[in-house]
Amino acid sequence: MSDPRDRQYTNGEITVFWKPSKCIHATTCFRELIEVYNPGRRPWVNMNGASTRRIIEVTNKCPTQAISWKYNKDMTPEELAKNRTSPAVEETPETIEKKKEEEKPVKVNIMKDGPIVVEGNFRIVGPEGNELKSMLMTSFCRCGNSKSMPFCDGTHRKVGFNDEK
Amino acid sequence: MAMKEKETQFRVNENGPLEVTGSFEVYDAKGNLVTSEGPVYLCRCGGSGNKPFCDGTHSKIGFSG
Repeated sequence: MSDPRDRQYTNGEITVFWKPSKCIHATTCFRELIEVYNPGRRPWVNMNGASTRRIIEVTNKCPTQAISWKYNKDMTPEELAKNRTSPAVEETPETIEKKKEEEKPVKVNIMKDGPIVVEGNFRIVGPEGNELKSMLMTSFCRCGNSKSMPFCDGTHRKVGFNDEK
Repeated sequence: MAMKEKETQFRVNENGPLEVTGSFEVYDAKGNLVTSEGPVYLCRCGGSGNKPFCDGTHSKIGFSG
């Protein structure tokens, strides 16, 4: 039986399966691989954001299998057929947590040698007070080198950003 | 009756730090609560000697972003 909220994403080689009902908001996916798993973007999974090897590595770290993967060559014709449909509404770790998050204080998490991960109900404004984005989860760049400022794009790993320096 | 908390806001200062105001909690990489008192200024340039906080280094290194 399949949940209508379930989604799948492919890069032609592997397919990532997303089951919102299993997500406990561990945030491992986007803390480790924001280039692929970005709750602030639609669709929130970009299979071209990293190598297959890296997607597998991070997807395996999901504690609940809310995200899981398979080689396309190992998938059934029914499963493959679903790669060709693109449902209109997509849940993300952000939207499913919405109700819970609104009750909690905003958490600002400084990640080691990485970004500032914010969870909760908050506003982001630019220098002039103009609203950039209102969301429930995001990552701000801390290394100074992101190409999509002020947000993290994973560049900290390429530049070897280190908290101790 | 709990008071309505102040709205949490992140202001991205041009070529400078991230200014956080309102109600929030900042946790370090080990999960320890660092502060919940605003405003705080978080380093965005990567160069601060007092991470995660800003120490003004962005102007010395000419940070742009």
